[in-house]
Amino acid sequence: MGIVSLLAAETRMTLWSMKRYMFNTVSMVVVMYVIFIGMFWGVKSIAGENMQAGSLDSMVVGYVLWMSAMFALQGTGGIVLEESQRGTLEQLYLSPLGSELIFLSKAILATLFNFFFITVLLYLAMLTTGRYHSVNLPYFYGMLLMSLLSLNGIGFMMGGIGLIHKRVNAVYGIISFGMIGLMLLPVYPFTTYSLLPFLAGARTINAQITGEATFPAWWYLYIAANSIFYLAVGILVFRLFEKRARKLNKLGQY
Amino acid sequence: MSIISVDGLRKTYGDLVAVDNISFQARKGEILGILGPNGSGKTTTLKSILGLITFDSGSITVKDVNVQKSRTRAVGHMGAILEGARNIYWYLSPKENLIYFAGIKGYSRRSVTSRIDRLLTELGLDDVRDKEVREFSSGMKQKTALACALVHDPEILLLDEPTLGLDVETSSSVRGMLRSLVKDRGKTILITSHDMSFVESVCDRVLIIREGSIVSHETITSLRQKFANKIYLLELRGPVGEDFRGRMTDDFGGVIEQSASGEVTVNLRLDAPMQLLDVLSMVREHGITLEDIRVVESSLEDIFLDLIGKIWE
Repeated sequence: MGIVSLLAAETRMTLWSMKRYMFNTVSMVVVMYVIFIGMFWGVKSIAGENMQAGSLDSMVVGYVLWMSAMFALQGTGGIVLEESQRGTLEQLYLSPLGSELIFLSKAILATLFNFFFITVLLYLAMLTTGRYHSVNLPYFYGMLLMSLLSLNGIGFMMGGIGLIHKRVNAVYGIISFGMIGLMLLPVYPFTTYSLLPFLAGARTINAQITGEATFPAWWYLYIAANSIFYLAVGILVFRLFEKRARKLNKLGQY
Repeated sequence: MSIISVDGLRKTYGDLVAVDNISFQARKGEILGILGPNGSGKTTTLKSILGLITFDSGSITVKDVNVQKSRTRAVGHMGAILEGARNIYWYLSPKENLIYFAGIKGYSRRSVTSRIDRLLTELGLDDVRDKEVREFSSGMKQKTALACALVHDPEILLLDEPTLGLDVETSSSVRGMLRSLVKDRGKTILITSHDMSFVESVCDRVLIIREGSIVSHETITSLRQKFANKIYLLELRGPVGEDFRGRMTDDFGGVIEQSASGEVTVNLRLDAPMQLLDVLSMVREHGITLEDIRVVESSLEDIFLDLIGKIWE
């Protein structure tokens, strides 16, 4: 019952925040779309008429997946930073449900709410490029959520670091742009790169939407295991940093 | 019956000893004040009770729950204001803040609706329940923070500097609220504050800490009985010369003030009332007329300054 109340509270909080900061919410989608248009025109002007339809499709889906990854990475780290700046972080630690459950709920709900923006962006991008694919949305959301859990794990690690060091923006910058390159790496059939978080899931979603390939059942199981592994490691690392933050009295400081 | 028990609490940050072997108990239905200069270990003690800081040694139990072993269980019994009004979400309304904080503590919106209504009414926030907190005065923000700390109806309330930045009127209203929480609902409250008159008027017992150690742990009444000196204010008229001034200062530690119109006031803090006779005979010897004599009880601030041994600014 406590968890249901927590999820309800976090859902309301997300809706209140979006309503209060409506301009920011709308401008975020506009900015994401403008970046895509810039990228699309840039690629088109270089490749000209030689640009292959398959590459264009991959670019559309890849961009949407990259944006999803950015949101998920910001997750817990961003939350810790924001709450710390506001002065409300310690209040979250006064919940009998535990801080991890609160941060995990926040991160997952943020991911789910971001699905709406991601979907808008996906359709806008397909409309712009003229490459329309019928997207199986339940599959898309399900796979995306499962794959993004691994990045939520990385977000937890960043959140833990944020508890001690507070400002971790530079690391985000590196990971964000590094992710573009990482998402181009070959991960199927299984390679060393497949061990990295999110990449296997991203590759699968991309291939499914663009109709490039199908995957065996074990591959989906592997993606789930990969996500659970990174999430568990992320929570473990978060706990270690949290323990250290409580020892150093860093929870309330910014 | 003790509801909070702190036993041998010690916390260090590297070489700095923040809290050194502190032991005390808070009883159900009382307000315990923790006083001390900046950096004396007040907030560290409060945060240790809340489990927000891990300590080096000692133990803390809250309603028989060991804080270090079962932190989440222990915090369920407590509500706190730690950074004043910064502890709440300014872009939300008081009502939204209350619903949110109840939710993250595991209470559904429906189960706390009547409590939220009651808190908003009691704290005078009913008319502004749907306005954003950022538009509020410091006092209103502080009241919202207090409501949030109480939303899950905790038995224990820990307040770090609850009157910081509040005007006299709001401070007085907070005082009334806290007294009523103890009297009418049997809450236990721990307060750290620099506001001596606030502590004096609201607390049942006071813990004075200096450099991480307890200097005094008494009820306000026994603190007065043990440590209070009577201050005698003598109003004099006549030739107050250097000899008189010197003797009054050196022999009795008196402080002499002379107004522009020539009125002289001597402020005396005497260890024994019998010394007053010596002072009066000296006044007579110098041919000075005693116009008036008044006796003033020393305040908690005077006692605190004596105990801490430094000037409070």
